[in-house]
This record gives sequence, C-alpha cells and structure tokens, in this order.
Amino acid sequence: MSAGQLSAEAVAGRAVEPGLQATGLTKSYGGVCAVNDASVTFHHGRVNALIGPNGSGKTTFFNCATGMIRPDSGQVTYRGRDITRWAPHRVAAAGIGRSFQLCRVFPRMTVLENVLVAARARSLRTLLGGAYDRELVDRARGWLARVGLDHVEALEARNLSYGQQKLLELAGVLMADPETILLDEPAGGVNPALIGRIGTLVRELNAEGKTFLIVEHNMEMVMSLSDHVVVFDRGRPIAEGPPWSVQADPRVLEAYLGV
Amino acid sequence: MRSASDPASLRAARWGLLAVAAALVFTFPVLAPNAYILSAGVVVANYAVLATSWNFMGGFTGYISLGHAAYFGLGAYGTGLLVTKADVPSFLALVLSGAIVAVLAVPIGIAALRVRGASFVIVSIALVLILLLVFQSWSSFTGGSNGLNVPRPFPDLLRPEHHLVFYYLFAGLLCLALLTWWAVDRSRFGMGLKAIREDEDKAQSLGVPTFLYKLVAFVVSATFTALGGGLYALWFGDLDPIFQFSILVGSYMVLMALLGGIRNLFGPLVGAVIVGSALEYFKLEFGDTQFHLVAAGLLLALVVLFMPDGVLPFIGDQLRRLGPGQSSIREVSAGELLEQNASRGDLPGQGDGVEGRAAPAPSEVTR
Repeated sequence: MSAGQLSAEAVAGRAVEPGLQATGLTKSYGGVCAVNDASVTFHHGRVNALIGPNGSGKTTFFNCATGMIRPDSGQVTYRGRDITRWAPHRVAAAGIGRSFQLCRVFPRMTVLENVLVAARARSLRTLLGGAYDRELVDRARGWLARVGLDHVEALEARNLSYGQQKLLELAGVLMADPETILLDEPAGGVNPALIGRIGTLVRELNAEGKTFLIVEHNMEMVMSLSDHVVVFDRGRPIAEGPPWSVQADPRVLEAYLGV
Repeated sequence: MRSASDPASLRAARWGLLAVAAALVFTFPVLAPNAYILSAGVVVANYAVLATSWNFMGGFTGYISLGHAAYFGLGAYGTGLLVTKADVPSFLALVLSGAIVAVLAVPIGIAALRVRGASFVIVSIALVLILLLVFQSWSSFTGGSNGLNVPRPFPDLLRPEHHLVFYYLFAGLLCLALLTWWAVDRSRFGMGLKAIREDEDKAQSLGVPTFLYKLVAFVVSATFTALGGGLYALWFGDLDPIFQFSILVGSYMVLMALLGGIRNLFGPLVGAVIVGSALEYFKLEFGDTQFHLVAAGLLLALVVLFMPDGVLPFIGDQLRRLGPGQSSIREVSAGELLEQNASRGDLPGQGDGVEGRAAPAPSEVTR
C-alpha cells in the first residue's frame, strides 16, 4: 500500500472518518498566541502529518490535544468524544499515545522496564500484581524486537544512543496499545538509516490499523509517509490536503520562505 | 530484568547476607551487654521503621519530604491522647491513631502533591512547623511543653524487659513495612511510581494516573510513619512537641534513606543502623553538645560526594567488580551496542521486516 494510492482514494471521495479533531483551539503565552483559533480534523486510520515553520504552534497544538497543556478556549474531540482539558492519563486511556519532541525515556530504568511501565492495569488486582509477569514481559519483548532493541533490554535507558532512545520511546507508546499515535519530530536528531527504519515502522503499523499524527520537519519523510498533510503557520492551519497538493501550494511556500 | 541480569552466585550471596542480617537483628537483645545498649537498639529500630516508611514516598516517587516528622508526631500524640484521654487500650490506640493519620494524610496529600521539587520540600516543612506550634500552644489538650505522659502498656515489666519487648515490636513493624515495600516494588503500581520518579509527565502520557499513585504512596508512607511514632509513644512514655514535631527527626529519616540507598529495599534500614548508631555513640561520647549534628552533616556530605546512590548500591558495585568474570557482562553488552549501531548504520535498507532482524546471535550471550 503506497501513500500515493491512499491519497488518490481520499481525493476520489472515499469516506474519511474523523479522528482527532480540534475546533477553535486557542492557547497563548503572555501576549504570544501560540495556537490561534485553530480548527483541524485528522483522519482516522491514516498517516497524518502536521508541518509548519518553527514556532508555528505545532507542538503547543500537540500538547493541548493530549492534555499536557490546558487550552485557553476551543474544543478537542477524539472520534466524536469530547476530550478537551482531560488529564494526560485519561487521554492515553482513550487510545491516544504520544512521543515527545526531545525524546523522553526513564533514564534509570532498564530498557525492558521502560516498556513495561506502559502496560495498562485495568483492575486493582492487576495493579498490585507482578510487574514482571510472564505475559507482560513477553509482550514488552515483542515490541522491543519490533523496534530492534531486544538485545539491550537489560541496560539502563540512559546508556542508549539518542536514536535508540527514540525507538525505545516508540516501543513504550506501543505497549500501551493506543489506536492513535502522535509522534513529535520522530526524525529530529536521528541518522538517515534510523529515519528510514522509523518510517518503515510507521507504515507497517498503519497497515495494522494504527492511526498516526506526525509533527515533522523532514519534508522527505513527510511527503513519502503521509496520506494527509496539515500546514500550520502562526498558530493555525493555512493549508491541508494530500502531500503533493500541499507541496505546490503558494501559501505554504510563502510561510516557509517568509516571502 | 534485574533478577535475570544478576549472576546466580551474587544472588546466593545476597540471600546468605540477608539470613545473617536477620539472625543478627533477632539475637541482638541477647548479645546486648546491658540495658543501655538495648535501649539504643530500640532507638535504631525505631529510626529504621521511620526511614523505611519515608522511603515509600522518597524512594518510589522521588518526592523528598523533609517534614515526615509531622506523621511521626501525629502518630505519637494520637496514641498518647487516646490512651490518656479516652482510656483506649494501648495497642488499639496505636492502630486507631495509624488509621486517623491515614485519613488526615488524604487532604494533606491532595494539597501538598500539587507542587513538585523544591516547593514540595518547603510545603512538607511548613506542615511540621504548624503542628509544632499547635501542639505547643494547645497545652490544655496536649500538655504543651510540659509534655504528655503516656502510661506503659506493660506496667509490670522491669526496664530491660520493657526494652526487650519493644525491640521486637519495632522489629515486627519494620518487617511489615519492608514486606509492603517489597510487594509494591515488584508490582505494576510500583513500576508506575518509579516512572513518576524518573519523569512524571512522561509517565502520565503513558497512562499512569500520577496524582492518584502519588497520593496512595503518600498515605501509605504517612501511615507507617505514624505507626512508628505511636509505638515510640508507648515505649518512651513521654512526649514533647519540640521533639515529636522536629525538623531534625524528619531530616534524619531523609539522611538515613539517602545514605543507605533509596532505590533499595534495605537501604533505609542500613542507613538507620549507621546513622542511628553514630548518633547514639556521639551523644554518649560528647554528651549533650551539638557535635552529633556536625557529625551527621559530615556524614551526609561524604555520602553525597562519594556514594551519591547510597551505601548499598556502592557496595553492590564493588562486589560486582570483584566477582570473577562478572565485570565483563556490562562491557560486553555495551560493546555490542556500538557494534549493532555501526552495523545498523551501514544497512539503511534493513528495516523491511521483523524476520530480517532475527539474526543478532551475539546478543543472546548477554542474557
């Protein structure tokens, strides 16, 4: 399944199911409006990308959507459910997992523990049950193998390289079994080989049914990976559509080149 | 996994050491040459209970409370007042005051846990100071600075026998606290708490209800501290706000836990034995001077400088380094790590499937 095909289908009018959706979302810091009355819809089941110049409000938007920051006004819904101002752990429980811009792992926990943390306990009994139960460890190892970190599971996470920490973060997010995954600059500070690897993973996982929303500066990655691109400038979307149409949009060029 | 990465011989040594330590703890009253040494043992056991209780909060979540003396004092005064004012049997009073502190800890926790880091430390100190003032000023009820006499639970016992009984009571409470800590440590709940210590926001984004987790840890920590305080009241029999609600007692709990190692089940216990014995020794040697405080400060400085993770992890590292052929385990995997990195860098197209990656045979050696 290539990205081009999907976009073509979308253009041809295939029904698009809304996933994460924001309406009139606003967040300002002092006098600076980081997100300014932004209304966006991301498509469920697809690979969505959010791009825009530095300081255009992408990460703030991301943080408002996942409950890390309280928006000043506006509404966030996920598959029709209002999740505005939900605490981050509730957003996670609703099926949205996320990574952080400057990759965050638990430095003094082992690689395996970093993944085990994300196992959701649904009852008091499982909560007080062993964190190293066979079933959990097997599942965690499965995700570590998937991202290619199974050989370092006993190391403390701080001993990993930056790129490996990014993969580890992804494995942790996957362990929580979200249906939508938000990645904040997955290619940032990562060598080209690893970028390719992350891209492949995203494509595979999307084929398995995961929805993605990716904030990214690496245009090559965005254009090759995504079905739907939203361009942010000064805190609000200025263009959206399939990658090829966005790429040619004069407003996008203007925002990026500052003409 | 931790247990899997430890060599078997080290694990056997650990069990052996644990057995020896337990035997030492339980035969100490027999070995103690006189009642004074025995009473010092009770003091150390009490400190061990307090430091282990503190570590439910400090060790798991990384929230450093300098004000845990508040729960020590509340537990002690709760027990004392229930016995003297309401004629409740001693040990029922102890359990009741533990329950009362558990209930009180909920609103206190809800308020205090809204802030992190240095702010949390300040808030925790503020509570002790407030309680100190309240218990000093409200003398009609608490006895104020004149103190509160708590009748002994076993009036027929001679002094050495009294110490003996309470030594074992404290040891029993310590066992309960250690068992609980151990159970939390290996549970999913404990895993969530440790994630909070490492990166609270990240833990929450992975679905850990951080506030609830912290609150439960806080209540458990306060309750065990209160039980330690209540037992102290029944043992010592005389309470004074200036000692029960002292910043110093709270600081000792922190010092002991840090010294022993807060990531370690037995860290606070080891710290309590070291600091507690040292304090008793300095008090004996230098009388009622403030020299024991200077000594405690020096000890803390030494630990921070040379063993930032505490005594137990330091000893563990040394043992691992000495152990035959074991030093290589970490280095091998680190070397492999580099190797893997290098080979990954050379093969940009290898992300095409899980099967393609099933090859890294050398990594099997690490496990």
